[in-house]
Amino acid sequence: MRKKISLDILSTVEKPARYTGMEFGSIIKTQEETEVAIALAFPDIYEVGMSYLGFKILYHILNLQAGVAAERTYAPWVDMEAKMREHALPLTSLETMKPLQEFDFVGFTLQYELSYSNILNMLDLGGITMLAAERGEEDPFIIAGGPCVFNPEPLADFIDFFIVGEGEEVMVEVMNLYKEWKKAGKPDGRSEFLRQVVKISGIYVPSFYEVEYLSAANKDVPMGCIKEVKPLNEIAPAIVQKRIVKDLNTIDFPTKPIVPYGEIVHDRIMLEIFRGCSRGCRFCHAGMVYRPVRERKPEVLKELARQSIDNTGYNEISLVSLSTADYSCLEPLIHDLIGEFKDDKVSVSLPSLRIDSFSVGLAKEVQAVRKSGLTFAPEAGSQRMRDVINKGVTEEDLMSAVGAAFANGWSHVKLYFMIGLPGETDEDILAIANLAKAVQGKYKEVTGKGGAKVTVSVSSFVPKPYTPFQWVGQNSLAEINRKQMLLKDALKIKNVTYQYHDSVTSVIEGVFARGDRRLGKALYLAWQRGAKFDGWSEHFSYENWLKAISDAGLDKDFYATRERAQGEVFPWEHIQPGISRAFLWNEYQKSKSGELTGDCRNGDCVGCGACPTLEAKIIDWKSNAL
Amino acid sequence: MKLRMQITKENGIRFVSHLEYMRTIERAMRRAKLPIAYSKGFNPHMKFSLASALGVGITSQAELLEIELVKDIELKAVLQNLAEALPLGIHVKAADVVDSKTPKLMASVAGADYYVQVPCTKDCLEQLHSFNTAASVLFQKPIPKGRGKTKEIEVKKFITQVTGNFINNNLELKFSCKITPTGSMKATELLKILRDQFAVPIVVEQADIERTDLYAVNAKGAKKALIGKSNFI
Repeated sequence: MRKKISLDILSTVEKPARYTGMEFGSIIKTQEETEVAIALAFPDIYEVGMSYLGFKILYHILNLQAGVAAERTYAPWVDMEAKMREHALPLTSLETMKPLQEFDFVGFTLQYELSYSNILNMLDLGGITMLAAERGEEDPFIIAGGPCVFNPEPLADFIDFFIVGEGEEVMVEVMNLYKEWKKAGKPDGRSEFLRQVVKISGIYVPSFYEVEYLSAANKDVPMGCIKEVKPLNEIAPAIVQKRIVKDLNTIDFPTKPIVPYGEIVHDRIMLEIFRGCSRGCRFCHAGMVYRPVRERKPEVLKELARQSIDNTGYNEISLVSLSTADYSCLEPLIHDLIGEFKDDKVSVSLPSLRIDSFSVGLAKEVQAVRKSGLTFAPEAGSQRMRDVINKGVTEEDLMSAVGAAFANGWSHVKLYFMIGLPGETDEDILAIANLAKAVQGKYKEVTGKGGAKVTVSVSSFVPKPYTPFQWVGQNSLAEINRKQMLLKDALKIKNVTYQYHDSVTSVIEGVFARGDRRLGKALYLAWQRGAKFDGWSEHFSYENWLKAISDAGLDKDFYATRERAQGEVFPWEHIQPGISRAFLWNEYQKSKSGELTGDCRNGDCVGCGACPTLEAKIIDWKSNAL
Repeated sequence: MKLRMQITKENGIRFVSHLEYMRTIERAMRRAKLPIAYSKGFNPHMKFSLASALGVGITSQAELLEIELVKDIELKAVLQNLAEALPLGIHVKAADVVDSKTPKLMASVAGADYYVQVPCTKDCLEQLHSFNTAASVLFQKPIPKGRGKTKEIEVKKFITQVTGNFINNNLELKFSCKITPTGSMKATELLKILRDQFAVPIVVEQADIERTDLYAVNAKGAKKALIGKSNFI
């Protein structure tokens, strides 16, 4: 039954236009046109979800398919949720206002661990049976993908199947299979569809696997760790390898994205210039799981930029990637784009800067007007720590970058750091403060006056799967709090602002990042007791999470602070991004002595395994042109 | 030259704010490639304005828009481009070209007409009669960004008459509201006054409010269109 959200509800909630759709570029297909309907579900509010490039891409690619209707749905903010529950209104899509329960698929993106409670909440609001094992023929298939899919285990109870890797091709294959299965009258029901879909490469059906745990310690691997993950049938692959698009120049890119009415977080054209990053920072999840680097051709990008501006009316293009300054043809591309759009009052922007004067030069060029602060990410304060994490940046690099920034008129820089990195000492923490002081000194040296504003933003390191630090014990809450205060004292410097994250959220993030499927119970309990919007500190309840984890019979320290053994089987190892375990272990060992590993993009192969495993190659247009 | 248009804000997008509506029109004009004039300076702004801000939640058949153009254009071609560039929920109802010396829309607009439908438990025509015959009705109008401060205004200076009709537990209201250089009133404010001072039993949040017209007035106080009626589409 479809109920309309009434005027009096909409006029009493914050930002009601979040819930009413009808934006320019949204695609509404009729029931006659629709053979398969999928709701792309972002487990956060509209403004956040609408800024996510992955769903812009999938929305476009899926709606290009005849018979496929891809629609959008977002987590309602708490005021709206209360109204929906009070009036028994289900969560719907924005396009056809259809309740989630009536879709064939509801597809969630897993952007960060702290959004998992919102997934459960959206399933509940959408009228969908919570546990995959209890879903009936009338329920949609609940699917999920995105960066956290490289450890999907904590969500195994709730998701029917996962899409591992880049979705452009595999999602279309899944839709086609569904169309056929539906046309045939859905023979043998849901379980048969799962048996068919698992044959598509990149599909992980968690219910097809059994996890066995160690009932006693096995050498240095403690009791409770995984003994074995076994497929329960002959069709489920022992290893699910991620899917990638081998050449980005051959696939469609959305040049007519939806233009929202209200302001969203990234309210501009997001032009994806390449995928992957091979700098090899040892803490970085994205830098490992999205390999190899594949660039779009400058000519292709210029054409996409022109179409996007003409189609949307936006006046800003952001060149996005994991490390935009590494794009091989960045300088000529920026020049060409600025020239191309000179008369259209369109500006070009860079989401991040590399720490060098080249980047500062580019930043100067693209934002000739706005002199807001420049942001750099040295990640660690001491050279020793930067070598441990393989950042490949020296203090001289930073000084020359900020020096260039100051010489070009900037007087405010923001520096990003992490604390709680492996092997970190108090001296490494204090080095952050010294670096901030050195930056202020550089300003004096360059401009002859004092008063440079430096913002030091510090997050707490959370070890992630498929990084060289996947074995590392996360710092305890007490240790992080102590380090935060140590730094706070050291940063009582004029014109230095210190920002740090809520340390308790990092604990729960850490538990779920490297957790196993037993955590499903804790997630369910926490949600039942009110967990939602955990990424929003005003909604996060640490006590609720601690109680849920212990009521599920689990121990947070087992997952977060425990240093893991070399031979331990991890919960995520049957889902593979193509990075070899030996490479990761070797990188971890090298980190302990601060030994650096180079970038394979234009240098020697570092042996991570991505190219041979995925039968792919690095695509870099400068070197290709030579 | 300047381009004037009468455009709508329809049901599905009624909760888009005034600022968001402005930005939406701006982007649509960019998509339609209209030769729009920009302000000078570091942060150039498109030169266009709306006659009068519309409250969030209110639909309109008569939003008036004025755009300055850098070169003369043929109206027909513009309208065709614009029709494709506008999102669902905004349509062009009329368009007109005026010369650059024409006074600004914002300075010319003098009144708005509203049509309201609101669930109501009883026939309230008598209460409306009391409002219409009252010599004075005072209202504590909140001062924008005044942190709860109000100023007393005379409602009858802005709204003199409200006509009503009661069918199927629905109260239909029609009224005209003056717009002056020093201020005006919101349709929801009138509803609150009827509820609080004239015992009309309605829930203001349930009211479906539409702005039906925006106009200037002549010396005799009669309505005068701000856009040529011959150009209705």
